[in-house]
Amino acid sequence: MAMTKTVWPQVRQQVGDIEKIEVLVGIPTFNNAGTVGPVVKAVKEGIRKVCPHASILVVNADAGSMDGTPETIKHAMEPDTPTVFVQHLEGRLLSGPISLQALSESGVPGREDAFRAFFTIAEDLQAKACVVVDANLRSLTSDWMEALLHPVIEKGVDYVAPLFRRARYEGSLTNCIIYPLSRALYGKQMRYQSGGGYGFSGRLASLYLTKNVWEGVGAWYGIDSWLTTVAVAEGCEVSQGFLGTRIQDVKLTGIELSVVLAQAVGALFHLMEAYQDVWEGRMGSSPVPQFGLPYEPGPVGSAVNVERMVRGFQQGLRDLLPIWEIILAPETLAGILALGLLEAEEFRFPEALWVQTIYDFALAYHEKALHREHLLKSLTPLYLGQTASLVLETREGTPEDVERAIETLCKTFESMKPYLTQRWRFP
Amino acid sequence: MSILWQDAMLEAFRETTLRIAHFLPKLLVLLTFLALGVAAGWLVKVLLLRLLRAFRFDALCERFGLGSSLAKAGTKQSISHLVSRLSFWVVFLLFAFMGIEALDLTATANMMSVMIGFPPHMLAAVLLLVFGVLLANFIAEAALIATVNAQIQEARIIASFIRWGVLIFTAAMVLTQLGIAKEIVVAASSITFGGVMLALAIAIGLGGQSIAKDALEQRLRLRKVEQDEMSHI
Repeated sequence: MAMTKTVWPQVRQQVGDIEKIEVLVGIPTFNNAGTVGPVVKAVKEGIRKVCPHASILVVNADAGSMDGTPETIKHAMEPDTPTVFVQHLEGRLLSGPISLQALSESGVPGREDAFRAFFTIAEDLQAKACVVVDANLRSLTSDWMEALLHPVIEKGVDYVAPLFRRARYEGSLTNCIIYPLSRALYGKQMRYQSGGGYGFSGRLASLYLTKNVWEGVGAWYGIDSWLTTVAVAEGCEVSQGFLGTRIQDVKLTGIELSVVLAQAVGALFHLMEAYQDVWEGRMGSSPVPQFGLPYEPGPVGSAVNVERMVRGFQQGLRDLLPIWEIILAPETLAGILALGLLEAEEFRFPEALWVQTIYDFALAYHEKALHREHLLKSLTPLYLGQTASLVLETREGTPEDVERAIETLCKTFESMKPYLTQRWRFP
Repeated sequence: MSILWQDAMLEAFRETTLRIAHFLPKLLVLLTFLALGVAAGWLVKVLLLRLLRAFRFDALCERFGLGSSLAKAGTKQSISHLVSRLSFWVVFLLFAFMGIEALDLTATANMMSVMIGFPPHMLAAVLLLVFGVLLANFIAEAALIATVNAQIQEARIIASFIRWGVLIFTAAMVLTQLGIAKEIVVAASSITFGGVMLALAIAIGLGGQSIAKDALEQRLRLRKVEQDEMSHI
């Protein structure tokens, strides 16, 4: 494997005579000197609580920090904890301006390379468990290790996805598309939240390395978009770890919404092709085990500018109609055209119509009806319309009402799945 | 006198017969080439059509917006049909020119050499045209989606401006390739592009200075507020 050849000599020099470890802790960094110290301390404390006698290796994959992040980690680590520093992997991270390819939804450059390095080292050192935490977190506590590592070591779980308490309407893209569609496809009630922290078994780390997602079309999408999908689709033992509130140093605000949407939804559509035989046969959904604190909906949060979202939808309806005509089925388009007549306050996107819209986009992606990036980005106004509808429907209610609305949407996705499967093979 | 008249008549008859005897095989050659041209053209057309359908050429062109461009221009046939029909005429004309050349007429003496020299330019021009139309559609579509997502109200105008800009540039390149009014084309396109840019610069610099400033300020401030509003992922 090319990655092994690139990383291993760097690693071998630093680990000395270590041949086997039990837990690998991966920390991808990029200019995180301000937050990485407390993160490392919390990780050390957490591991000491969860598995005090386990052999541990901490790996920092740095994407070229200029603020002394690796040095901060060195100071925060105890001298007896083996630590490996991997930098500038494959020469890609420093080659030219940061491209979309190297910039995942997390906004951290070189994130995919970092995960690949963690999995490669975990495989080579036969690690039983691998935990990856982001270095820009301010809310990480030692309890996170309990939620991410304990299920892998003690319960034989392959994958622990993060689950956060988020303010109402935060993560709307996940709640309106990623979660319901993935749940309908693969039959697992994973919330598909991404970033922050993950737990993997050694077996899953090796499995990820064999998947064709590191290069080519798959690599265009951020790693956070496909980690969960691959684990679920491959039939691994999956679970969720509730980690409380996520407070991070830099919020993802610099990347345009349509780019984030294209990456997240594109990864899902892309993997639909690879796992066609898996999702076609799965009906309904089942809950997954949850570790950590019990999940609860987030607080009300700040006000959302619904009028702007409705305006975005209406402009899309006016200007992108020729493109939507290629993508959407005539009956779906007729339903969407009718929404253009509604006033902002009365605006509602019917659930069945939204589900049909997403399924039509998935089918058009599959049939290559349009250039795929254009196709994915042209979904943005429709997504704004759906989000506006959700906000208008629930803004007078409680956070639990939002949860109920999302659950209803998920069930509609599941009940309408035959619409997708029938058209997938025979368009 | 009568002998001379008789000889002249016989000579004329002989010569005419001889000329007809010389011409008839050439005519036969022309007709044979025409018949062969029809047969070969038909064969190429059918084979090409099947090949294009097997490779889903129409779907590919549709993806790049070529199909919709032709539909807008009033063409109702599919692109694979058009290409196969074009191939028929190219093959047929090739055979027809061979037949005409066989006639050995003074008027068509240099026609074949001219016709053989022209196709490379023609082919390059056609390729340029196809590439230009594809590029114009692709860039205009990308611009339209980006501007709509940025909620710029003039999205369609901007996309049209980009499409026509690329198309005009393509047309100028095609005409230059064909050697048609080279100097006029170069001068016209320079004046057009230069004029448009100058007009825009003057319009923004003099007339719309404050509007541009307000719009930029509003956009940047608005974007900051909206970005802080909520996280979608």
